[in-house]
Order: sequence, then structure tokens, then C-alpha cells
Amino acid sequence: MDENSSARLKRRLVGVVYRIGLFLAMLTICLPGLWIVLSSLRPTVEIMAKPPVWIPQEISFDAYVAMFSGIGKGGIPVIEYFRNSLIISVTSTVIAVAIGMAGGYAFARYRFRGKSSVFLGLMLTRTVPGIALSLPLFFLYVRLGIIDTHFGLILAYVALNVPFTIWLIDGFFRQVPKDLAEAAQIDGCTRWQAFWQVEFPLAGPGIASAAIFAFLTCWNEFALASQLTRSVSAKTLPVGLLDYTAEFTIDWRGMCALAVVMIIPALTLTFIVQKHLVGGLTSGAVKG
Amino acid sequence: MKGFKPSAPFLLLLPAMIVLAAVVVVPLLLSLYSSFTPFRLTRPETFFVVIGIRNYLSILSNTDFWWAFGRTVLLLTIALNLEMLLGLGLAMLVEKATRGQRILRTLMMFPMMFSPILVGFQFKFMFNDNIGLVNNALQSLGITQDAIPWLIESHLAFIAISIAEIWSSTAIFAILILAGLLAMPKEPIEAARVDGCTPWQTFRYVTWPFVMPFAYIAMTIRSLDVARAYDIVKIMTDGGPAGRTELLWTLVARTAYSDGRMGMANAMAYVSILLSIAFTVYFFNKLAAARTQIGAEW
Repeated sequence: MDENSSARLKRRLVGVVYRIGLFLAMLTICLPGLWIVLSSLRPTVEIMAKPPVWIPQEISFDAYVAMFSGIGKGGIPVIEYFRNSLIISVTSTVIAVAIGMAGGYAFARYRFRGKSSVFLGLMLTRTVPGIALSLPLFFLYVRLGIIDTHFGLILAYVALNVPFTIWLIDGFFRQVPKDLAEAAQIDGCTRWQAFWQVEFPLAGPGIASAAIFAFLTCWNEFALASQLTRSVSAKTLPVGLLDYTAEFTIDWRGMCALAVVMIIPALTLTFIVQKHLVGGLTSGAVKG
Repeated sequence: MKGFKPSAPFLLLLPAMIVLAAVVVVPLLLSLYSSFTPFRLTRPETFFVVIGIRNYLSILSNTDFWWAFGRTVLLLTIALNLEMLLGLGLAMLVEKATRGQRILRTLMMFPMMFSPILVGFQFKFMFNDNIGLVNNALQSLGITQDAIPWLIESHLAFIAISIAEIWSSTAIFAILILAGLLAMPKEPIEAARVDGCTPWQTFRYVTWPFVMPFAYIAMTIRSLDVARAYDIVKIMTDGGPAGRTELLWTLVARTAYSDGRMGMANAMAYVSILLSIAFTVYFFNKLAAARTQIGAEW
């Protein structure tokens, strides 16, 4: 009897500890982001206050209004940066996914000599740190006259994304049974038709998430963009964020607001793909 | 199979090869060449002067470089190990949850959506000695009276950077390990329990071997972009105070763009590329080994 109740107590205690642990973990994960959102809505005086003001006294969207009302008022041309980011990310994503689909299909459906070393080779090109790659690219782009252009950055981002899209898409094509395409071919489809009418629709959601992943990589990239762009005509949002830092002061509120603007598309897109992303990464890699 | 041509995979891979050759391989060869020259941005004619391995020799005796190198390896070691442990812990916490697992999983992915530059900025904000959340909290709770100079004192700055790095990347481990835990068949665990294993033994000899390949996938993915620490450091301290948080990548950027010594920077960049490649190949091999082990056991 005594043993029973102490076991029950112990179990309840473990449950409480577990809840607290989970709560603390989630708090650590979410707090920094929430703090940014909160700071973007508070007046600068409150952010700077000493002793700190914990409970916001007034909430306003001034920072956002200022940001989108042009250079004169907000200080930095956010709209242009946003447009650049969007053009560059979307274009390079489309190209990278087209190339990745071809490559991923080759890895998933064909046997060829040196397959795993080709795969490793592709991955190795991705390991080159952005900043190391930026040195020769900077030099070449200056020579070719494509520095500080959309085209230059798009080209770099396609190369950045291709290895990873191939990895992901390879995984998604593996999940589609081979027999389906073969059955379609027996029924008279060409391999090309079988691909577009059978395999592509089945792998579709996966390919979409590979696309979103590629988009996010471009959207968030900083090391290359910071060296290969200089002016309003090609700077992307991550580089634009630095405009808020003057030599000695930082406009924290403006920066927080821009951070929120950057994070919202990323947040939405990641929610959409999370399930497929994990599936693609693991199935490609575990089943060999 | 009808219509199969032996060159099909080659043709399919061709576009990828072309792009990667044009944007990665050729530029890297160019930078390899220029690492053998005293090339400076301000003096283009120096591009054609070959000085052999003098850049590499001067790197060897450059203490700043070796400090940056050591610091980079230290940061990666600390960060990757802690990320793995914390990710494992987080995955097991979430896997245990009976209700709301979907929401927890989504919350868990939250840091992944932050670009490294945002992570850097956000932690710079939080660790600000005057108005940062961390110091404000510590002072309001009465733990300390003084403002702790998080980003100004070199050791604290290193800790702050590690925290930012770990915060941003633990999610990748947690998610992939969680995928492994969820994919795992339940029978072996039950069998182990029936056979009288302690929870620790069950974890060590049943769960962990199964989850390991997933952890290595995460490691491989992480090693593909270890250099994202550049963004974080660039924003948080920019290598300061007095170069005490300089990593390989920030040092390369400074040498190239601030000092304009491209030849030297390229030589340094090659060392950092080799470091990244070493990490990737190491984890790729681990992954392959773990995969064959899984294949044998399950």
C-alpha cells in the first residue's frame, strides 16, 4: 500500500518536472522572437528606458508606417529592398528547382557509375562558405559588369541551391514507387509522359517544399549578398537591415520592425512545408 | 525499359553540372590561382605576379589567423555537440507529449525560420549591455547590480555568440531526431523493457542506435552551412572586441574587403574551405556507416 502511494507520488512528480521542462524549453525558443515583435510596437523611449519598462504602456504601428512611407521618413528604402529580395528569390528558386528536378530524377531512377561520388561532389560544392565564394565571384562580377545586378545574385543563388534541391527532390522521387511509371509506360506512355503524368503529380508536394526551402535560403542569405550588391538597385532585405546601424547608434525599433517584415513570409512558408521537408531529407538519405 | 539511353542520367545532371562549374568550380580555381599572387584590389596589375606559396607561408606565422582558426574550431565543436544534446533532449520531450504535439512541433521549428543575420541582430539586441533583455532581467531580478558587458568582454562575447548559434540551429537536430523517434518501431523497446532493461539501457542500446542516422543527417546538413556563423558574428560583434571573437570567415572578409588584400584572403579562404569540406566528409562517412548498421539491424 505504502509502496503504491509513493510510486504514484513519484510518477506525479516526474509529470510535473516534465511539464516544467517542456514549458521552459518552449519559452527559450519563442521568447527572442516575441521580444522582437514587442519591441517593434513600442516607442523608442520605452526601449531605451532605464530602469526597464516591462509592461508596454503604448502600442503603435509607427515603425511600420515610417518604414513603408519612403526614404525621407523611414530612413531606408525598404520597398525597393523588398522588391529586390522578391525578384531575386523567386527567379533563382524557379531555376534551381527545374535543374534540381532533372538532377534528382537522375539520382532516384537511374543507376550509373560513380553515383555516390557524384552526389558527394555536388554536396561538397555547397560546403564552400559564402564568404570564401564571394571573393572570386566579386572579382569576376566586376570584370563581367554584373556586380550589383539582380542577374549576378540570381546566378549565385541558383548554384547555392542546386545541391540541396537535388538532395530533397531525389528523396521525394524515391517515395514514388517505380512500378507506377513502368505501368504507365506499358500502357503506352513515353518515359517523358510517364514522368509528367504519373511521377510528377505524386512527387509534387515534395517538390513544392523543396522550392520553398530554396526560396528561404535566398530570402535569408547574407554573406554573398552583402559583398555582391552595393546600391538600392540590387540590395536585398538582409543587407538592408544593416542600414539601421549607424556608426554609433542603432535604430532598434526600426530594425525590429524590418525583422518582423522579413520573418513573416519565412514563417508562413515554413509552416506549409514542415511535414514534407523532414520526409524528403530522411528518405533520401536513409534508404540509400 | 523502352527509350532508355545510357547517357540519360548524364544529360539530366548536365544543367546542374554547368551551373555549379560556372559559379562554384571555376571561380574557386580562379581564387586558388590568386592565392598564389600578391593581388590587391587597388593594384590590379599585381594579379599577374606569381609569388608561389608565400601567402600560405605568411599565414603559417600569422598568429591572428591561428587564433581565428582555433576559435572557429572551438565554436563549431561546442555548438555542434550542444546542439546535438539539446536537440535530442527537445525531441524526446516533444515525443513524450500526449496532447498538442503538432503545435509543439511547429513551435520547435521556430528558430529555423530566422535567417542567421536576424539571429545575430536579435541576440545583439538582447545581449546589449544597456538596454538588452538579458541584463534588464538580471537587474530587475536583483541577481546583479552592474550591467554585464556581454558583447564587450571577449569571453562573454564568445559565450553570447555560442548561445545565438545554438539557439538558431538546435531545431534542425530536434526535428530530424524527432522524425527518427516517430519512425521507430515500438516492439524493440517493449521487448527490452520486458527483458529487464533500465530506461537508460533501453535508450542507450535500443533507441539511440536507431536514431543515430537521423542525427547524422542533421550533422551533415549543419556541416553544409557551418559558415552561417559568419552572419551571426558579423552582426553581433564584427570580430571585436579587438579581434577577440574573430572567426576564420570574418577574418577572410576583413582581409579581402577592408584591407583589399585579395591574394592573402583567398589563401585564408582556402583553409576555411578545407575545414568545411573536412567536416562534411567526416559526417557523410558517419552517415554511411550508421546507415549500413541500421540496414543490418532492422
